[in-house]
Amino acid sequence: MLEGIKKHFHHYFSLIAIMGVGVTGFYLYRYDQFFQIGVITSLALSYISWGIIHHTIHKDISLSVILEYVAVSILGSIMIYILLFNSHL
Amino acid sequence: MRFIDHVIHLLIPRQSNNHRAKIIQADSLLIIASLLIAFNFVLNYIPKVRPGVLGYAASISKDEIVNLTNAKRVETGLSPLIFNETLSSAAFSKARDMIDRDYWAHTGPDGTTPWSFFSRFGYKYRYAGENLARDFSSAGAVVDAWMNSPTHRDNILNPKYKEIGVGITEGDLAGVDSTIVVQFFGTTYADKVTESVAQVPGTQVTAKINPRPSLKPSPSPSFSPVPVEVGIAPEVQAVVSSPVSGNQKVLISPFTTTRTVSITVLAMLILVYMLDAYLVSKRKITRIAGRTFAHVTFLLMILMIVLIIKSGSIL
Repeated sequence: MLEGIKKHFHHYFSLIAIMGVGVTGFYLYRYDQFFQIGVITSLALSYISWGIIHHTIHKDISLSVILEYVAVSILGSIMIYILLFNSHL
Repeated sequence: MRFIDHVIHLLIPRQSNNHRAKIIQADSLLIIASLLIAFNFVLNYIPKVRPGVLGYAASISKDEIVNLTNAKRVETGLSPLIFNETLSSAAFSKARDMIDRDYWAHTGPDGTTPWSFFSRFGYKYRYAGENLARDFSSAGAVVDAWMNSPTHRDNILNPKYKEIGVGITEGDLAGVDSTIVVQFFGTTYADKVTESVAQVPGTQVTAKINPRPSLKPSPSPSFSPVPVEVGIAPEVQAVVSSPVSGNQKVLISPFTTTRTVSITVLAMLILVYMLDAYLVSKRKITRIAGRTFAHVTFLLMILMIVLIIKSGSIL
C-alpha cells in the first residue's frame, strides 16, 4: 500500500488537500449550518469523483469499486447530517 | 463458535468474504448508514411517547455568562456591564414565556416583542438588546457562539449598554428538554453614555427582529428608544427566581448520543480498514477494490468534523 501511495503521491496529495480544505471550511464556519451542509455534500461528491478518476487512470475501474466510494461517501455524509440535525445549530 | 466465526467474517479478510472484511464492503456500509438513520428516527420519536427523556445536559449559571461577557468587553477595552436583577427577572420571564408557549424566537407568536418584557418589569430603557441561546453544554460555549456571530457580538461589545441581565431556564421545547439562555442588555435614561471607545460598526440602526425560528442566526441587536422621560430611574421589581437548577442533568442528549455512536462506528471502520490492508498486503493477495488509504483519509476527515460540531443554537 505504501509503495502505491509513493508512486501516485500527486493523486493522494490532491485528495488530502481537498479533505483539508473541507475540514478547515467546516471549522471556520462552524456556526453556519447551511454552509456546513454544503461543505459536506461537496466533499462527498469530490471523494466519489476522485475515486472514479483515480481508478480510471489505473485502469481498474469497475461498478463494485464505484459503489464502494459511493457507500463510504453516503455513510460519512449521513453521520454529519444527523449530527447537524441534532445539534440544533 | 458460530458467533466467533461470524465476527471474523465481518472483520478479517478471508475466502468466505472474498478477501475483503465484510463490514467494509459497500452493502455493509449502506446497511450501517441505514441503521444510523433508523437510530436517529427512534431517538427523535422518543419525545412523542416519553416526553422529558431526551434533553441537553447543561451546567450554565448566570454568573458565568455575565463574567464571560464582561471578560470579552474588557478584552476590547470596554467597561464591564453591571449586573441588574430587574433585567435578569425580565430575561427569565422571556425564557419561561418561550417554554410555556413553545416557541423559539425573539418575538412571540402573538407579536410580543422582547422590549415588552423590559417594560413589564419597569425597566425604563434608552437602549436595549437581546441575545438568545439554547441547548449548549456550558456557559463558555454559549458566549463563544455569540462572539462568532457578528450580530450577537455587536450586542456584547456595544459601548452604549451599561447593564446586563441573564435568565436561564429548562423546559420542554417541541418535546425535547432544553436549556434556554436569555441575555438582556440595557441602558436606562438615568445612565450616562460617555464611552470614549470607538463604536461597533453597524450598531446604530434599529434592527428588525426575525419573528420566526430559524436555524441560521438572525440579526438580534436592537436599539429601540422609547418615549419616556429623561432622568427616570428604573424601578426594581420583585425578583423572579428559576424553579429549576442550572446544573440539572437529563437522561439522554440526542446530540451526545449520536456523536458517541458516530465516533465508535468511525473508529471501528478505520481499524478494520487498516487491519484489512495489512493482512492483504502480508498475504500478497491481489484484488480489485477501492483504495484503503483513500477510505481511511475520508473517514478520518469525517471523524474530525464530528469532533468539530457542537450542539446549541443561537438567535
